[in-house]
Amino acid sequence: MKSLATAFGIAVTLGAYVLSRVVAKRYRSPLTTPVFFSTPIVICALLLSGFTVEHYQPAKDVMVFLLGPATVALAVPLHESRRALLNDLVAAVAGLTAGSLSTLVVAILLAKAFALPAVVRASIALKSVTAPIAVELAPVVRGDPTLVAAFVITTGMIGAMFGPGLMDRAGIRSPLARGLALGTISHGQGTAQAVGEGALQGAAAGIAMGLAAVLTSLVAPVIVPLLL
Amino acid sequence: MLVALQWAALVAINRLGYAVAEAVRLPLPGNLVGMLLLLALLSAGVVPASWLRPGAPFLTRHLAFFFIPITVGIMRFGALFARSGVAIVVVLVVSAAVGVCASGFTSQALGRPRRQVEVPT
Repeated sequence: MKSLATAFGIAVTLGAYVLSRVVAKRYRSPLTTPVFFSTPIVICALLLSGFTVEHYQPAKDVMVFLLGPATVALAVPLHESRRALLNDLVAAVAGLTAGSLSTLVVAILLAKAFALPAVVRASIALKSVTAPIAVELAPVVRGDPTLVAAFVITTGMIGAMFGPGLMDRAGIRSPLARGLALGTISHGQGTAQAVGEGALQGAAAGIAMGLAAVLTSLVAPVIVPLLL
Repeated sequence: MLVALQWAALVAINRLGYAVAEAVRLPLPGNLVGMLLLLALLSAGVVPASWLRPGAPFLTRHLAFFFIPITVGIMRFGALFARSGVAIVVVLVVSAAVGVCASGFTSQALGRPRRQVEVPT
């Protein structure tokens, strides 16, 4: 019975994912990104069949087994785009540092102003870190991995949707700067958006996503408790 | 078969990353340490990127899949989003806008000025 439930959980999740890829091929939009599109489908399917989060847990454990190795695999595209960074090292590192720190501080302080619970404030601080690393970082700052994942994915969509328009208006035109900003704030989804703008933007975004994650992993355990 | 071997190698590097982070008491997640280890191996030329194809690109291409089971857990947070959903979205939008501008202006100001793109209006 338990293995049947596991198989059901995996089948529903895989099915929703494949559906999102098919739909995204026809209608490319932040609304058809796999996680945003598929998660409500899976939740509905689970609720309709009387599943709780606990019933879904074994299926989840099987599916996330390859998440760590997939994160390690990100080193390959990072290695391939390293040249874009080395050409303009100071500007790149300064830009992604300014972006990572300012977004983290503003997020925590605003969350505090809205009197959101502490676990939400700690989780929202990590929303610009690429999801596989943010989920691991969550317990370190006393955040919740699920909330972190939801905030990370929403931030990815926000940056990919509004980031380019905002930079047009603000007069941010250098391709390196545009790519860095998108990768630093909106990680994977921002990088996908930057790749659409051009090769240099895409490479800069990929590197910014990786380095911003390293930077935030180092500073968040120190800064987050201070601001919480 | 080849893909299975490549995945096994990535699993091993991931495990190693956690072991190293634990042993050296690094304040970094183990999977991130694993990624940096692989980046070092690739940069040093010890491991050519071709050894990891097609297994590694397959995983990164489908990275989003792994987050579906994780975000399904927001089922537990229905009350929170009903109560504070608007505030959360405001925090996310404002902090993202500040970060994009801070990052973009800083690297544009410090970068080489010669490269510019025409922004479509």
